[in-house]
Amino acid sequence: MSRMLTAGMCSVLAVATLPLTGTSDPLPPTTTYRPLPTMPFSEAMAIDEAQKPQVMERQRAMLETRYDLSDRPMGVLMSGGRKQVQEGVRVLPPEGMTWADLAAMSPQDIRDNDLLPDGFKPLPHVKQTTGGQVFPQVQIDAIAAQEQRDLERFDVDFDLPDHLIPEFPPPIFLTTQPHLGDVSRGELLTIANHYEIMNGLITPVQMEGLRLLLTPFPQEEFNQTEDRKVVGPSRGVACLDCHSNFNSNAGFHQSPDMRPQAARFRLDSPSLRGLFNQQIHGSKRSLRSIEDFTEFEQHTAYFNGDHVSAARKGQHIPDRSHKVAMMAQMQNIIDFPPAPKLDPMGRLVAELASEQELLGEDIFMGKGLCAECHIPTQSFMDHQMHDLKLERFYTPGETVNDMVLLPDGPIKTFTLRGIKDTPPYLHDGRLMTLADTVEFFNLVLQTDLTQAEKDALVAYMLTL
Amino acid sequence: MRIQTLATIALLPGAGFAQIPNPGFMAPDTVFEAPGVPAPDQVNATDVLFAQLNAAGGLAEVALGELAADRAQSPAVADFARRMIDDHGAANDALAALATERDIALPDALNTGHQAMLARLEAVEDADFDLAYMRAQVITHQKAALLLMGAADRQNAGLIQFATATLPVVLDHLHMAQDIVADLALAQVAGMPEAPE
Repeated sequence: MSRMLTAGMCSVLAVATLPLTGTSDPLPPTTTYRPLPTMPFSEAMAIDEAQKPQVMERQRAMLETRYDLSDRPMGVLMSGGRKQVQEGVRVLPPEGMTWADLAAMSPQDIRDNDLLPDGFKPLPHVKQTTGGQVFPQVQIDAIAAQEQRDLERFDVDFDLPDHLIPEFPPPIFLTTQPHLGDVSRGELLTIANHYEIMNGLITPVQMEGLRLLLTPFPQEEFNQTEDRKVVGPSRGVACLDCHSNFNSNAGFHQSPDMRPQAARFRLDSPSLRGLFNQQIHGSKRSLRSIEDFTEFEQHTAYFNGDHVSAARKGQHIPDRSHKVAMMAQMQNIIDFPPAPKLDPMGRLVAELASEQELLGEDIFMGKGLCAECHIPTQSFMDHQMHDLKLERFYTPGETVNDMVLLPDGPIKTFTLRGIKDTPPYLHDGRLMTLADTVEFFNLVLQTDLTQAEKDALVAYMLTL
Repeated sequence: MRIQTLATIALLPGAGFAQIPNPGFMAPDTVFEAPGVPAPDQVNATDVLFAQLNAAGGLAEVALGELAADRAQSPAVADFARRMIDDHGAANDALAALATERDIALPDALNTGHQAMLARLEAVEDADFDLAYMRAQVITHQKAALLLMGAADRQNAGLIQFATATLPVVLDHLHMAQDIVADLALAQVAGMPEAPE
């Protein structure tokens, strides 16, 4: 580099590194930290209860402007045979437009004309300012019956209809017992019944891991302090309260990894099936092992990214070599549901598949670009985070139900094995059906699929 | 969503239930107009802090804009500076009106941090001014956007509406500033003599 260039660069750097903000006032502390409660608990609860109808009405109205939430089963069962998969595109296209009209437009035109369907935008938590874990009624009822533990919040209810969430309780498939099939006995695993159900199936180490995964610990909204959203002082929640039977019950939360509160996106609980092959964990965090994830979530009272608040409510810091390892070993034997039409390379066996399914695989591997990230030999993942750059299609910054719609940034690729069992879809659950995911990616990746190709992709994904 | 100009924000409809708060973080003396619905004009400490920090930032944007409108070397920077004077001037007026109605005292002079920023920019050579100003603008608008997203414990409906309406404009300013910085940095490199072989 010449001396002149060096001198020029120095002057650029000198300007760039002026400490322009060093002496200025910081933002309010509550943009990062959780305040301490100021309202007496009984008063706060009464206010929350009074607000609840309006909170739920606001969420219902938002959902109904975005989606067709009707019950339209498609005659295909989820892996446990307890619930049907729902058909059709449920995101509502813009007034007067078809999906084909939209797919023909450029991202810039869609953005400039404000035509991105609202259902493709980030989905707000039912109460953004408070956030926290929200469980579906089936989970609340099952835990109340088995453990007499209260998972019901007084400030919010679960917001999606039961037919749009996974079957309950989901089946459990073990990598160590492939010959047995579903070992759940049709029950929800809890601290009360796990020993009787799993004894003989798993090792002592795995049993201890399972016990810990089913043991409640204090959580941000479920704890013994006044800063809680459950009527009585609570023993807390367990890992498998959201990951029912190691799948998901569609319980949701907010991303722990962002602040301010208004920017935190909704987080739909992922299934834990197939974790043995997953190399990164957390939609944003890219934690490199299930041990890291398991250990760390207990530090922060489950998924709030806040060790400060967790310390006040009761932190459980599991010992890495004794407890975390056992919890991880239990999680690592949870298999995907059987996919009898797939060969060992994750490809359809031609004799077993329909023409439509084979066309779907063809689109999946080629024109649809799906297999660029969902690689069949990698359990339909790629262990990467990708940025879909959805903000090409809309202007971020709008506030919807107290959530600021912002670019999602890079998000972990989720597996598609057993995908029919885990609606809703995307990290925040903004897409209700597999047909919605096809329309979403057809637009985002500009793949220009025909209706027959879209239908074939849905048929193909049902075989995974 | 259409981005409004800051000048129209003052004309937004009156206070309503701008944000449904977490009641646990409300002050025990909060007044309610209906069960669960706090009277919208109440102000808590976070609201006051929000208003004061916003006003301080707004004052600085106008002062920095005036300096830059005078000293900018490139038309793009001069245009940007004038837009900051107009947009933030209008927002400052709207915020001042909201604050007056709520008996919140706002700063009327630059704070020490902003004074220091202004002094440093005044001291920058003409040839370096545009980039220095625009880089500072990126930082001030990043911070303004986070402030406008606010905290979950803010309460005053009018101030929250102001923040909600202002946020997309500030994000727009931020992206404009980032684009101008990219152009200026490239132009500066392109204007340097080639390195001899």
